[in-house]
Amino acid sequence: MSRVSKSRTPARHPVARRTLVRLGASLLVLWGAVTLAFASLHLTPGSIEDTLIGQSTVTPEVRAQIVADYGLDEPVHVQYLAYLGRVLKGDLGHSYQLHDSVSSLISSQAVPSLQLTLTGLGLAAVTAILLSLLTAKRSRLLRGVVSGLELVGISVPVFWAGILLLTVFSFQLGWFPAAGGDGFSGLVLPAVAVAISVTALLSQVMREGLETVLEEPFVLTARARGLSDLAVRFRHALRHVLLPAVTLGGWLFGLVLGGLVTIEMIFSRQGLGQLTLNAVTGKDLPVVMGVVVLTSGVYVVVNILLDLLYLVIDPRLRGAHEPGS
Amino acid sequence: MTPHMYAVRTSALLLTALLALTACGGGTSADADAESGEPVKGGTLVYAVNTEPTNLDPHASPQDITGLYTRPVLDSLVTLDDQGKIHPWLASSWEISADQKTYTFKLREGVKFSDGTVFDAAAVKANLEHIVDPKTKSQLAAGFIAPYTGSEVVDARTVKVSFSRPHSPFLAALATAYFGIQSPESLKKGPEELAKRVIGTGPFVIDEFTPRQGITYHRNPDYDWAPPTAAHSGPAHLEKLEIKLLAEDSVRLGALTSGQVDGIASVPPVNVKQLKADSRFTLQTKQAPGGNYSYYPNTAGGVFKDVKVRQAFRDGIDFKTVVDKLYFGVFQPAFSPISPATQGYDKSTETQWKYDPDGAAKLLDEAGWTGRDDQGYRTRDGERLTVRWPFLKAFAREQRDTLAQQIQAEAKKIGFDVAFDDVTVAEYLPKVIKGDYDLADFSWQRADGDALRNLFSSSSITNAEQYGQNQAKYTDKEVDGWLDDSLNTTDLAERAALYSKVQQKVNTDVAVFPVYVFNYVLGSSKKAHGIGWEPQAYPTFYSAWVTK
Repeated sequence: MSRVSKSRTPARHPVARRTLVRLGASLLVLWGAVTLAFASLHLTPGSIEDTLIGQSTVTPEVRAQIVADYGLDEPVHVQYLAYLGRVLKGDLGHSYQLHDSVSSLISSQAVPSLQLTLTGLGLAAVTAILLSLLTAKRSRLLRGVVSGLELVGISVPVFWAGILLLTVFSFQLGWFPAAGGDGFSGLVLPAVAVAISVTALLSQVMREGLETVLEEPFVLTARARGLSDLAVRFRHALRHVLLPAVTLGGWLFGLVLGGLVTIEMIFSRQGLGQLTLNAVTGKDLPVVMGVVVLTSGVYVVVNILLDLLYLVIDPRLRGAHEPGS
Repeated sequence: MTPHMYAVRTSALLLTALLALTACGGGTSADADAESGEPVKGGTLVYAVNTEPTNLDPHASPQDITGLYTRPVLDSLVTLDDQGKIHPWLASSWEISADQKTYTFKLREGVKFSDGTVFDAAAVKANLEHIVDPKTKSQLAAGFIAPYTGSEVVDARTVKVSFSRPHSPFLAALATAYFGIQSPESLKKGPEELAKRVIGTGPFVIDEFTPRQGITYHRNPDYDWAPPTAAHSGPAHLEKLEIKLLAEDSVRLGALTSGQVDGIASVPPVNVKQLKADSRFTLQTKQAPGGNYSYYPNTAGGVFKDVKVRQAFRDGIDFKTVVDKLYFGVFQPAFSPISPATQGYDKSTETQWKYDPDGAAKLLDEAGWTGRDDQGYRTRDGERLTVRWPFLKAFAREQRDTLAQQIQAEAKKIGFDVAFDDVTVAEYLPKVIKGDYDLADFSWQRADGDALRNLFSSSSITNAEQYGQNQAKYTDKEVDGWLDDSLNTTDLAERAALYSKVQQKVNTDVAVFPVYVFNYVLGSSKKAHGIGWEPQAYPTFYSAWVTK
């Protein structure tokens, strides 16, 4: 018993320490993100109350009310500290424009965004794995065709892909609704639109990795043991190319989540993209800050999870004494 | 003795606050679909729009689309027709005091809000008080009854509304959805609740408003107080009404042609011909009332301080041809600052000025811009004739950015260097406040000739305290006087005569370069019938019905 636990501690420790260090760094990242966002909104020209009133003609009483309600007459550093204080208490404040609390706006918009991002990425991951496994080191013709398709996939603007998908599968074939479909049927086309370029990118990276791996001696050994070609690819080679793919996945997650604006507009979906875009142009500070807190938080969590995922994929990392060694 | 239509349509922006540059509109009806057969009871009509409200409370929001979203739910005290005449609605009659400062309304009996609250004089008072309460942060409605001093409940059926001075646009303002009567119980719930749900006496009741997707309504079965101008009385024909947000033009059009929706807003001009040719669809256009889409030269400073330079720009550019070509005739070229659909429009402005490049060249010579630099632009004392134009490209609707580029190319031919500055709203506003521009562009829809007061009264010039629509920074004692006089009379003919003088004068002084008349372009399936129009030129669905 004791021997077992002894032998496990050195492995467990680095993981815990690694997680702690990451968490500490994450808090710094969050604070930095909030501060930068606050500064950039205040440094861009135009006062907040002017932007809120926009091109409406309001009575002086309304203007005074807006200034008073949002504390816009306070010096900037007081507004900043007050904001940080509220965030620490878990209060993200109220939107200047949307007549709702930031936390309720974000929680209602985050779900559709995450749903679409995860579905899109999941779809892309499965397709990319299959594509790369089935085409690595195959005939030149097959690879040529597939990499041609990938090139197209990467280059197609998401806007155009979305319109094309709608035109064919909604307007012509009538398989999916143009907008607002309940649950799954409304998710398919946007997820495919998201997945196209991600699939192309992932499968290129993975095929290149696979082609190197399939040259390795252990592959020869496996084949010598009588394993079929597919079994070699799926059981042995795949694991080796998953690591770089997962690393890329963390980055892609942020990229996709941050780039949903166009998809949301074309498919009339709820989501953080439109919320953020409107908040930034409208100087809706509390919403922008809320989104910054959320996205940097999610990004941090995803990266921690990916770090842990490395350990699952690659047993060699589990025994490592130093993180990253 | 009844005033005019008054309804403002500020911009149809995605964003709350930023209105008018992209201001939008509605208009006067063109070919109404010949309604055949008896209306069918029941069914659902799905209508797709290109923008959405950020706040459902029309008392607070300045967006046109808020009017469209809430009109099915909200009735007004009065209604107005396309001729600018006021008719009773929730108010059965009214009297205006001799000094024109007090309006006494007799209210209709038996009207109930959909939450069960009874409609009475106290409810009217609660609504007007809610509009002017600074806590409502009204961005539109409150500004239109600025001289309002208070309401008095005389008895349950009588309410007296007072002003500090005569304010002739009041009744027309009351007719808009921005003055829609809401349940006093609902008003008590505060701005956050109201932003998501409004409760009125109207023919429909809101089921659910989902931002970025749309809104659904069901019929109010008790509805029995339609205005006399409506096509029928009693409850609405439709069982359900659904408005969907499909912001992307091609998606909206595809949803219509594939039968997923029954009607769409804002058919892009380029697709109008195609839709007209298709026998499955009907196309209706309605000219928006109020300020056309125009360019306003800064008359207070810079190159356009000189009236000769302003006139050279207006007359030296073939606006009419550019507009006709770009919009395929769907939007008409404009000649007056206000649209032909506005009460008080002066038709004689259409011949008041015309394209005259030779005259323009002569004017520029007279103004001293006689030199030419190596790129062909005119110069004076070595300085190039440059027009600085802060342009909100991100919010440019109806290809206004393309239009601006074509105008830029035309202007070059007569020696103007039009220099765009692609700005955000936050960057734009300080420029307007400081007067740091030579040209500004926007439309200002409003179903009342009083739109002219917004556009040209010297009290409507933007300063640090107040944003105003007089972006020409035009000040003229005569014009101010006429506009003031127009507030003192509710006589349509008298007001029209005053508005006519204003239009002639600002055209003579070239305080505006009129560009085009915005039209609401509605495409619908032949299965959808009876879609009506507000005078502010957006569709109404009370008398609409659908066939299978």
